[in-house]
Amino acid sequence: MATESPLKNAIPDLNYEKEMERWSQVFKLLSEPEPKIGLTPRNEVWRKNKSVLWHYPAKEKKYEVPLFLVYSLFNKPYILDIAPKASVIEGLTNMGYEVYLLDWGTPGYEDKKIGLDTYIDKYLRTAVKRAIRHSDAEEITLVGYCLGGTIASLYAAVADEPIKNLVVATVPIDFGPFVGPDKWAEGMRNGDMNIDHFIDVYGNMPPQLVEGMFRAIGAPIYFTNYTMLLSRAHDKRYVEKWRRMNKWTVDQVPFAGEAYRQLANDFFKENKLVKGEFMIGNKKADLKNIKANLFVVSGSRDHLILEDQSKPIMDLVSSEDKTYIVVESGHVGMALSGMFAGIVDKWASSRSNPI
Amino acid sequence: MTGKKTYDPYESLHKFSQLWEKQINDFIYLWTNNKEFVKMSNVGTEIHSRYLDQFKKNQEALASVLNLPTKNDVTNVAALTIQTEEKIEALEEQIWDLQDSVKSQSKDIESVVEVSKEIIKLTKQLKTELVKTKKELSDSKDLHAELQEMKFELLKLNDFKEEFETLKGLIEKDKSSERELASAGATK
Repeated sequence: MATESPLKNAIPDLNYEKEMERWSQVFKLLSEPEPKIGLTPRNEVWRKNKSVLWHYPAKEKKYEVPLFLVYSLFNKPYILDIAPKASVIEGLTNMGYEVYLLDWGTPGYEDKKIGLDTYIDKYLRTAVKRAIRHSDAEEITLVGYCLGGTIASLYAAVADEPIKNLVVATVPIDFGPFVGPDKWAEGMRNGDMNIDHFIDVYGNMPPQLVEGMFRAIGAPIYFTNYTMLLSRAHDKRYVEKWRRMNKWTVDQVPFAGEAYRQLANDFFKENKLVKGEFMIGNKKADLKNIKANLFVVSGSRDHLILEDQSKPIMDLVSSEDKTYIVVESGHVGMALSGMFAGIVDKWASSRSNPI
Repeated sequence: MTGKKTYDPYESLHKFSQLWEKQINDFIYLWTNNKEFVKMSNVGTEIHSRYLDQFKKNQEALASVLNLPTKNDVTNVAALTIQTEEKIEALEEQIWDLQDSVKSQSKDIESVVEVSKEIIKLTKQLKTELVKTKKELSDSKDLHAELQEMKFELLKLNDFKEEFETLKGLIEKDKSSERELASAGATK
């Protein structure tokens, strides 16, 4: 005579099909090669040192003014073309924009003396000139993401080239507010912490240290991404997205030494961007010189760049047409999901001379 | 289907891991967010930098004795390459200017050619008209000659008219003398 356990109803059953799917996905993730990224068709326009200017032709050109994307120096820009149907660049080309992207490349030891001023004056300026000539356009729209937004704003403040619109997203402008421990910021600003010698010795900031810096500011211990993956591994789409995101997150680049020193000393310590004291060549990069139409986007769940860091640009520029919006997103979410393309299009479509 | 909820152990694991992660990070935050930690980190960074600095200097000295190139030498060569790239870039931009001026000149030339074409067309038109006018002139000359002839004929006709008038006068005169003779005959 069979006897039933009294605990049978208390212990829930396992969904074996779901568990099989979960572990087959985990196995695939461990054994399959890395996912392919950057699938939108493109061609090389110009190359200098390690930097490359890419052109992504519009599927069906609808606007005269092309978009010029400037990404951060901290990571690789393929987050903007991470996956088909979730790619910012693919979205923009489908909407009828000619898109240009400046890939800064991976700096080597020989690039340790490249500062932000050099990046702007010798790389970005030339790339913009090339893009204007290549597209045969009379004006251009600059789109900067994260630190790329800071660089784009600095350039727009000293540019002789015809910049019609400036779009910046999750951009640090005011380096006063800081998301990390306040005593660290205090120590950096009053000289208790000095990284000059460290940068001199290393030349460039190694990618591991750049990653470590971001971890230290946000979450020094971080493993929930793996438990999250395990709990949702039965969902194919999530696993695919996770793999792409993970590939990008760990694919850090070294940061050119001089540029890092300027970021730490001129921007973080002395806040020269807000004061308009940063020099590019023999010109002062004062944001009040910006007269282009301005569009600023912040993420409400951005824990790296606070709204308070982006918003001050609205009062610093001389633009008459300026818009500020906050979207429901994190720091990279806008780029990762591809929703940034829609956000840009909504604002830029009427300002890009529709054909 | 019983509708009974199945057990997913990983959901709970994720929830717990989130809690643990937050607690550990909060602890690290509290542990490191003070002046002493910052100063200690600075000392540690400085020691590390000095050690690496010395290590590099020794390496450079050794490489120099062994006549081996170091990363610094490679850096210098790379800098030269970048300089060359920049020079080529500057040249390329000058070529752009030249291209632009050639383009604008060829546009000017094109417009001059267009104007010349118009002039040639106009000249041809004038030439045709001149031929036409010449022909018309010769026609008019012929007409003039004919008119002169006609005038001459008319003059001749006038003379004939005068002669005719004289003849008419003479006939009239003859008629009256005949009438006079007739009346004289009757009276006799």
